[in-house]
Amino acid sequence: MYRYDEFDHQLVGDRVKQFRGQVERRVSGELTEDAFKPLRLMNGVYLQLHAYMLRVAIPYGTLSSKQLRMQAHIARKYDRGYGHFTTRQNIQFNWPALDKIPDLLEELATVEMHAIQTSGNCIRNVTSDQYAAAIDGEVEDPRIISEIIRQWSTFHPEFTYLPRKFKIAVTGHDNDRAAIKLHDIGIVIKQNELGDVGYEIHVGGGQGRTPFIAKKMADFVPKAQLLAYLEAVMRVYNMLGRRDNSYKARIKIMVHETGEVEMRRLIEAEFAKIDASQMLAVPQAEIDRISAYFASPEFETLPATSPALDAAKTQDADFARWVRANVVAHKQDGYAIVNISLKPIGGVPGDATDVQMEAVADLAERYSFDEIRVTHEQNLVLPHIRLDDLKTVYDALNAHELATANLGLISDTIACPGLDYCNLANARSIPLAQEISERFADLDRQYDIGELKIKISGCINACGHHHVGHIGILGVDKKGTEFYQISLGGSADENASIGTITGRAFTEETIVDAIETVVTTYTDMRQTDERFIDTFRRVGLDPFKERLYAE
Amino acid sequence: MAQHSSKGARFQAVTANRLSDGEVVYLTADNQWAETFPAADIADGPEAGDALMARALPADFELHVLEPYLFEVLQDGTDYKPASVREIIRAAGPTVRLDLGKQADAKRES
Amino acid sequence: MPNEYQLMKDGALCQDEWTYSDDETALPDAPTIISLTRLKAEAESLRARNAKLGVQLLADGNGKTKLGEDVAELEPYLDMLSLVSIAFPTYRNGRGFSAARVLREQFNFEGELRASGEVLHDQWAMMRRCGITAFELAPSVSLETFTAAMGELSNAYQPAADDQRGALWQRHK
Ligand code: HEM
Ligand code: SF4
Repeated sequence: MYRYDEFDHQLVGDRVKQFRGQVERRVSGELTEDAFKPLRLMNGVYLQLHAYMLRVAIPYGTLSSKQLRMQAHIARKYDRGYGHFTTRQNIQFNWPALDKIPDLLEELATVEMHAIQTSGNCIRNVTSDQYAAAIDGEVEDPRIISEIIRQWSTFHPEFTYLPRKFKIAVTGHDNDRAAIKLHDIGIVIKQNELGDVGYEIHVGGGQGRTPFIAKKMADFVPKAQLLAYLEAVMRVYNMLGRRDNSYKARIKIMVHETGEVEMRRLIEAEFAKIDASQMLAVPQAEIDRISAYFASPEFETLPATSPALDAAKTQDADFARWVRANVVAHKQDGYAIVNISLKPIGGVPGDATDVQMEAVADLAERYSFDEIRVTHEQNLVLPHIRLDDLKTVYDALNAHELATANLGLISDTIACPGLDYCNLANARSIPLAQEISERFADLDRQYDIGELKIKISGCINACGHHHVGHIGILGVDKKGTEFYQISLGGSADENASIGTITGRAFTEETIVDAIETVVTTYTDMRQTDERFIDTFRRVGLDPFKERLYAE
Repeated sequence: MAQHSSKGARFQAVTANRLSDGEVVYLTADNQWAETFPAADIADGPEAGDALMARALPADFELHVLEPYLFEVLQDGTDYKPASVREIIRAAGPTVRLDLGKQADAKRES
Repeated sequence: MPNEYQLMKDGALCQDEWTYSDDETALPDAPTIISLTRLKAEAESLRARNAKLGVQLLADGNGKTKLGEDVAELEPYLDMLSLVSIAFPTYRNGRGFSAARVLREQFNFEGELRASGEVLHDQWAMMRRCGITAFELAPSVSLETFTAAMGELSNAYQPAADDQRGALWQRHK
């Protein structure tokens, strides 16, 4: 894992000191709220319904056990004993007091973490694949270039007051787990025919009020030129992106209004000028220095199968189910990738208590080369577990209610905080996720339904990714009462698509029945082994619509 | 953002979040900021609402609370309650964590 | 036209030798800042002028384009210009940061680059990194505040228009 050197420490330390001064000036009355608000937002401090909220960045979703223990400590000392993992590889604390946040940030800095770039119209926390360096078939560990992008974009003097926020995601694998086509810039690491590694660049994806799938802008940007290319995209956007209407200010709108061809021309013209100076070619020695931090763990040479595991599976049916649902093949023989579901039946998606975080940290330290990953689907991952250790890890997780065997299933819902916490919400999201998971609590039924991604947002900002849910649910407000709109057929993977709205919205009382209707329509119509999304793509919206609005 | 304006509302109250910790507070009859909704001053009619809001704007409040605004309140027998789900949740706490927020404080006190 | 301001230049408060001129009035025989519209319209006669000339680049609000003026339009006139004043209509509008870097790094402009309009405390250091050397500040800002703000971040991760090279480069000489 990347470790801060003196530069990183100094920059983050300077920033904490600067924010402490700003908070003092706000509390003493020297700064008005109008002047202070942009400053607190730049440090990840929002105001929600009941309290402030602090959003802490987990760059490219990688944590050490020490870092995760610090989150537990913060939850206990500054918050109410829990944290919320978000869809952008951040963790949010819902109850910190403003005057304690500088102390909190100072403690956070001791484990090389911060809340910079989690808010405001800057380049946000770079996100990536949670299976990085553990999954087979990866071109390169995406965290190396993600770390370089993190550094290049941090406190970027030119791009901190963009027309709107800017999100970058990176994958090194053909199976996209980072939803790169729904980001302002999505980067796919590729190898060309000559064997050189470079980057395929997608620009202009996004969700919110007007969702767009990103357009491919470049097939192959050579390694040394990536930062120049990114700077070109950013500059074109900063100079020509709309600022007259915040709903039209994301780069997705610019790509849409300018057209793909013209956009590519603008970017390439700027790229030629920037690249000519060679100023942004990162020295090989620095790339090597950063790569060394992501060197492969020292895996043992193990057989590909584990008799201990097989025996445990026959003895414990629940364990066997968990292995089937939550454990993924590792690139190294004798190891596995373990997904920890933060979606217990009836629980709050993405929430973890201080004790749970510590339990996961302990397991990572003992069994997973000290690494934890967080996923955009609001779960955690232990990336490198020996097959022989799976049962021990499972038992420990189970003791902390962290062994729900529902990865990718109907109860593995993404949900934003919604009206239970969020100042912008129209409707609650979490209770709906809870009711759905309770309605479909029977795991055998869930396995029978198969892969089905439900994603819930409490308003059109789409923090809960509803546009790209196989089933998406959007909360709307009608005169102070909550309603829910359904969309179907969205997807966030390498075949990304935006869902289609079924029709009029459902009430709080009827929405779960409506979801059940969608599910039975699918199970009635599916062909052997056909996933929900494939059935939907085959039969279209109409059959679902007919059943939903039959009465 | 959810509408919490109160066009056409008869009864209204003023709420804000406290600067130091973000706690939801309500403007009381003696111009204090109280932590519980029952302590809120209730305005009857649009003019009374405007007058109530005007009391929330003096510059020194800038030192204590953020973004005060009016919201609609309904009469409930002899009592009042917030009209929208949003304001009911602000007055109580998250509906998914009954152990947190004002609802929990109230339980502890009783 | 800018509001009342004090000029902070090269790290010190100083008398502003420049004035802003509108599009109609005859220009003073002293350093003056005109609009891009006037510069384009009167370029020929302005070339003959003795006193120094500056131009203000508007980020919006000139009624013609929502986006504001394009820094590329200045390129043919740069030899006549001793100053470019980049307008920041609100602190949120960071378009001028790019204009500044393009002027310095691509057009090699060596005259004065100043920030006018709404310029917040924590933007000053970033503006300087983009090549801005003069700041039109609210009269209430003290030299101490300004100097302290400039030093709040002691290093940078990336190169820009100043002489900091950025940690990614600096770590290896
Ligand atoms: C509770 C405080 C939050 C606030 C005030 C907030 C605000 C917003 C706003 C205003 C947008 C729309 C931006 C735009 O379209 O330009 C947005 C988008 C988004 N937010 Fe949040 N959000 C919050 C929490 C979250 C959480 C908890 C998550 C993850 C679960 C999240 C993830 C996202 C994502 C993924 C998007 C979509 C990005 C896109 O438009 O491409 N946010 N948020
Ligand atoms: S989608 Fe809306 S309700 Fe949900 S977190 Fe985002 S802004 Fe809040």
